[in-house]
Amino acid sequence: MSLIAQTLADGLVLGGIYALAAVGFSLIFGVLHVINLSHGILVLIGAYLALITSQALHIDPLLTLPLVMAVLFLAGYGYQRLLIQRTVDRSPLGSMLLTFGVALMLQNIMIWLFSPDMKNITPTYAFASFKLGPVTFDAVRVSALVASLVLLSCLAALLKFSALGRVIRATAQQTLAARLCGVNVRHVYALTFGVSAAFAGAAGIVIGIILPFSPADEALWTMNAFVVVVLGGVGSPAGALIGGLLLGVVNTLTAQYVGPSFPNVTMFLLLVLLLLVRPTGLLGHAFSASR
Amino acid sequence: MKLSFASTVVLMLAVAALLAFGPLVLPPFYVRVGQLMLYSAGLAVAWAILGGFAGYASFGHAAFIGVGAFAAGLVENRASGLSAPLLLLLGVTVGGLCCAVLSAAIAYPILRLRGTFFAIAMLGVSHVCAEITNNVDFFEGSLGLNFPSVTPSGLEPATFFYWLYLVGGLAVLLIAWQIRRSRFGAGLLSIREDEDTARMLGVPTERYKRLAFVISAVLTGMLGVIYGHSLGYITTDSVYRDDTNLSLIVYSMLGGMGTLFGPIIGAFSLVFITQVLLGRLLDFHLFATGLLLVILVLAAPGGVLGIARTVSLRRHKVTTAPAE
Amino acid sequence: MRRRDVLRGAGATILAAPAIRSAEAQAGKKLVIGGSVPLTGAAAETGLNVNNGYITAATYFNEVLGGVEIAGEKYTIELKLFDDASDPARATTLIQRQIDEGTNFFLGSFGSNIVLPTAAITERAKKPMVQTGGGSDAIFTRGFKFVFGMYPRATRQFAATAALFKTLQPAPQTYSVIYTNDAFSKTAAEGVRLSCDAAGFKRLDSYELPAKPTDVSSVLGSVRANTPDLLVCVMHDQNSLLVARQMVATNTNVKLLFQGLGPQLASFREALGKYSEALLCSTYWDENVPFKDKFFGNAKKFAEYYRSKFTRPIAYHTAGAAACIETYILAMQAAKSTKPEAVRDALSAADYETFYSRIKFTPEGDGDEILMGGMIGQVQKGKLEIVYPEAARTAPAIYPAPAWDKKA
Repeated sequence: MSLIAQTLADGLVLGGIYALAAVGFSLIFGVLHVINLSHGILVLIGAYLALITSQALHIDPLLTLPLVMAVLFLAGYGYQRLLIQRTVDRSPLGSMLLTFGVALMLQNIMIWLFSPDMKNITPTYAFASFKLGPVTFDAVRVSALVASLVLLSCLAALLKFSALGRVIRATAQQTLAARLCGVNVRHVYALTFGVSAAFAGAAGIVIGIILPFSPADEALWTMNAFVVVVLGGVGSPAGALIGGLLLGVVNTLTAQYVGPSFPNVTMFLLLVLLLLVRPTGLLGHAFSASR
Repeated sequence: MKLSFASTVVLMLAVAALLAFGPLVLPPFYVRVGQLMLYSAGLAVAWAILGGFAGYASFGHAAFIGVGAFAAGLVENRASGLSAPLLLLLGVTVGGLCCAVLSAAIAYPILRLRGTFFAIAMLGVSHVCAEITNNVDFFEGSLGLNFPSVTPSGLEPATFFYWLYLVGGLAVLLIAWQIRRSRFGAGLLSIREDEDTARMLGVPTERYKRLAFVISAVLTGMLGVIYGHSLGYITTDSVYRDDTNLSLIVYSMLGGMGTLFGPIIGAFSLVFITQVLLGRLLDFHLFATGLLLVILVLAAPGGVLGIARTVSLRRHKVTTAPAE
Repeated sequence: MRRRDVLRGAGATILAAPAIRSAEAQAGKKLVIGGSVPLTGAAAETGLNVNNGYITAATYFNEVLGGVEIAGEKYTIELKLFDDASDPARATTLIQRQIDEGTNFFLGSFGSNIVLPTAAITERAKKPMVQTGGGSDAIFTRGFKFVFGMYPRATRQFAATAALFKTLQPAPQTYSVIYTNDAFSKTAAEGVRLSCDAAGFKRLDSYELPAKPTDVSSVLGSVRANTPDLLVCVMHDQNSLLVARQMVATNTNVKLLFQGLGPQLASFREALGKYSEALLCSTYWDENVPFKDKFFGNAKKFAEYYRSKFTRPIAYHTAGAAACIETYILAMQAAKSTKPEAVRDALSAADYETFYSRIKFTPEGDGDEILMGGMIGQVQKGKLEIVYPEAARTAPAIYPAPAWDKKA
């Protein structure tokens, strides 16, 4: 009995982190209708930035969050405004290929800068663990999970209560009407992308402290984000959370009861099946309320 | 530059004959590059039957390369008594058959998706096939599969495969050309332009899409079998490659999406750029491919042939561009 | 950052070395040996050791001995080695190009997943490859005639470890094995199962991880639920590190942890710190081994020469790599030729004593099981001590190992 409890616990912890890693992608898909295949590399940029900052300033990696998020927000804003905007209302394949191209370029740049070796961010509490009943928790993973949940709540609050959030939601639901009301849609799109990139970077920090990473992992995190969105729903942090938790639990259950090599098969099978059955996920499209 | 049917055939055969001289005069490195060019061109045209003509851009055609190669390898290793040409024939047949079965099985559900969803779903299929090949011991994906040698004695393997790809690529081109000239091809093009209207006007869109999907898959799989043989030893990572998935789209984009010769131009150009120009600069490949992709999307979504057409339209002072 | 500079430096040395050599050695002929090595990527830790070994040997032959004499002619060794970034596809491209350009002899990369496809290519081109990077059975059971390896095949590598286990007191009863889904680890795990079952231990579980694992918590959960006395991990060093770290983080304790590849490397011991105490690993050479060598003198002298050139701590891969080049030279001298076919025949018949070990290959090309089999090392107080066989022992084995939270 305790094995299944442990497996579920591990899955939920992992799932919370997957959710954070996917929420940015989900937002872009929902608001700009763009499939951002460079999402994974933004996550990794966050991880590498956290690595060098925490080493240079000798601080805990989680404390580098504000800096990393700020840098990625600005970078994301510029990236969208200059490049992605040109493909936004054209064919969806165009934006997909554009972001893929940028991902390849950034991946190569990171290999030049950091080498293809696996890196790890090791916080001081790297080897600690604690038990809750029959279940053992890895301290680093739990702190990563807590950070994820806090950030997801912040994003949800931002979208629901702030002026920026209102404008983003309005633009997503009815772009033309928003324009007519005086919203600078290009600016809003770029802000949304900036927010998305910032959260991708935050996810990178969290991932960096629990798993070894290298530039080649970017495809994995983009795929991950896609599956989470397809599972849980497009455009909302709640959808990302549900999708992420589901994916995490499915992963650990498959690893435990089918075989440790099978989580990837399951992930891709789920992707294909869900795309066929319900592409907008369990919670559906968050911004389609008034369509 | 519209040529008559007869003269186009003659031209194609002439070019093929010219290319056939390649291995006799070029150094081994260039023969190998030539192999890759012909192989890529064949794959590109096979992909374009579905992606270019019908507009269903698949991001996961490597699935068929892998399925074809592994099916052929597994069968050939158990039929060791046969002579070399028979083994190859067996492999190509089995590979094509397995791809036909796979594509027919998934055609109905997966072709209900459109645009990017279809592309990503195919990527998912590619990865599922890769993971199953890798993790189920029977397929020997992780340990790797050895192919029996099929090169006739006295012939250099590089030359043999060059000619094999030339013949294979030509066959694929002829099939694609026939499709394009037929009612079936016209139907596919109409699906790309406006699927719902085409359906309304009586084009059997579902049947045509499925047929195009299966033909594309089978041709890709057969080329994949030859590829497996040319490598001699394959693992999951040598055939189920994401860079192949991407390249197939780029070939058509570069040369002209939806045209017949565009994918060939795109394939030749891209292979030349990456193998010859960037050959020693392996550290630049990702960057260069990415940059090319970005430039293509922003500046020339119609590819080389699209630019050629725009130029010729301007020269003939046509002011309105046809629907693209 | 530091390591990147070392890597760039090493890379520059390789690229500069042929230039230096060709400037000096106008008199002698050149013996070109090609290959690729993982200087970056997942296998870089050991790849760099292998690369240093190749450079050490080539430099020693050229500078200290003034070249090698084969069939009456003097040759300088020219190494043409490139970084394959631990990517088999890149390695095959590099090797194929070298064959196209006429290189006749090859050294191996590190990691069976890279060595296998490159060996398939050199075999097809009928060029010899002597490698110290691939032990998977798959390399030696395909009928290759031109590929030679410094290790016995993976399924035979575990005999020494099983023998050590039998000597431990109080006697362990059960074992479990974890391995990754790739050419080397799968066959090595087969060897573990064969040797341990034959030695009378009861197998509890056999866990297969994906080739590039990122999270092993489910496996460790099962290990905690069904704990063996001995836990054997056969995988590459990066994965061993991941497993060890997660074992500490989840407080998964066993009486003895054996990690085939990992604890031999100084960087691994450093990353784990005090937690690396009492970890077992296999090792194929130590500078105290008593072999005599025609060129280097003995193992200690080789180690001294190495340390005069590099600050990176020496590992057995370094010695194995240098031995590859020495084996080529000895074979060429025996064959009195630098033609690939003749050298290949000499390699097949090899029986040479070198500072690394006595070099003798089985008919399939892997190292002779007895002569080239491994020893067992254990980390004690941050150092690697040899605990088996008796003849080479430098310290008694610690068993059972202290729990993670009790390690000082």
